Amino acid sequence: MLVLTRKSGEKITIGDDIVVTILDISGTQVKVGIEAPRGISVHRSEIYEKIQEQNRLAADVDAADFVTAEKFWIPSIQHNGRKESTD
Amino acid sequence: MKIETTRFGIIEILEEKIITMPHGILGFRDKKRFCIIQHKEDSPFYWYQCLDDPALAFVITNPWLFKPDYRVDPTPAIDAMGWEGEPDKLPLECYVIVTIPRGLPEKMTANLIGPIVLNTEKREAVQIVLLNDAYSHKYPLAKQAA
Repeated sequence: MLVLTRKSGEKITIGDDIVVTILDISGTQVKVGIEAPRGISVHRSEIYEKIQEQNRLAADVDAADFVTAEKFWIPSIQHNGRKESTD
Repeated sequence: MKIETTRFGIIEILEEKIITMPHGILGFRDKKRFCIIQHKEDSPFYWYQCLDDPALAFVITNPWLFKPDYRVDPTPAIDAMGWEGEPDKLPLECYVIVTIPRGLPEKMTANLIGPIVLNTEKREAVQIVLLNDAYSHKYPLAKQAA
C-alpha cells in the first residue's frame, strides 16, 4: 500500500481523472473530497462490505426454506394491498 | 442453449435471455452471466441463476410488490454501464436480492440498498449501491418478521 502524508487542502491524483482532496482534519475525523468521472462509483467501504456480505448470505438458499418463504410472502402481499385499512 | 445448474439440473434457455453483468455482483466479481428463471407463475420470487457457476443462484423479487414507494435513481447504473439514450426512455427493470436465512424462512429479508438494474434491451445488468440512508439491506419481507 502506498502511504502518503498530506495536509488539509492538499490533494492526491489517481490516474488521469481521479482527485482526492483532504478538505478538513478535526480530531479523529478527516473530511475527504473525491472527484471522479461518471461511472466510477465511490462509496464508504462499509456499505460495500455490507452488500457483499448480504449477497454471500443470499446465495446460500435452502430449497425447503425457499418453499416455506413463498408461503410467508402471501399474507404480506395482501397486507400491502389493504394498506389503508390495516395501517 | 443448455445450461448446467446445481438446483435445477440441466435447463434450456434462449440465448437472448442471457444477462451480462460486466462488473459481476458485489462479492462475486467474476460471475458475469445470469438468467432469470420464473419457476412458478404466481410466485413473487424469481431465481437469478448464474451461468458461470452452476451452484450460484440468488432469489430475487420485484421491490414494488412489497414496497410501493421504493425509489431507485438509475443514474449510477446508467453511468457505470455507459447505457446511451434518454434515461427516462431506457427499458430498465429493477430487482432486489432476497436473503432466506437457513432454517428461518420467516426471517427473510430483501436488500433495498443494493438493487440490480437490468436493461432489458441490451440484456445487461449491474448491482448498484443506493445512497438513500432510509433503506435497509435487511428489509423484512414476511409479516411475522416485523
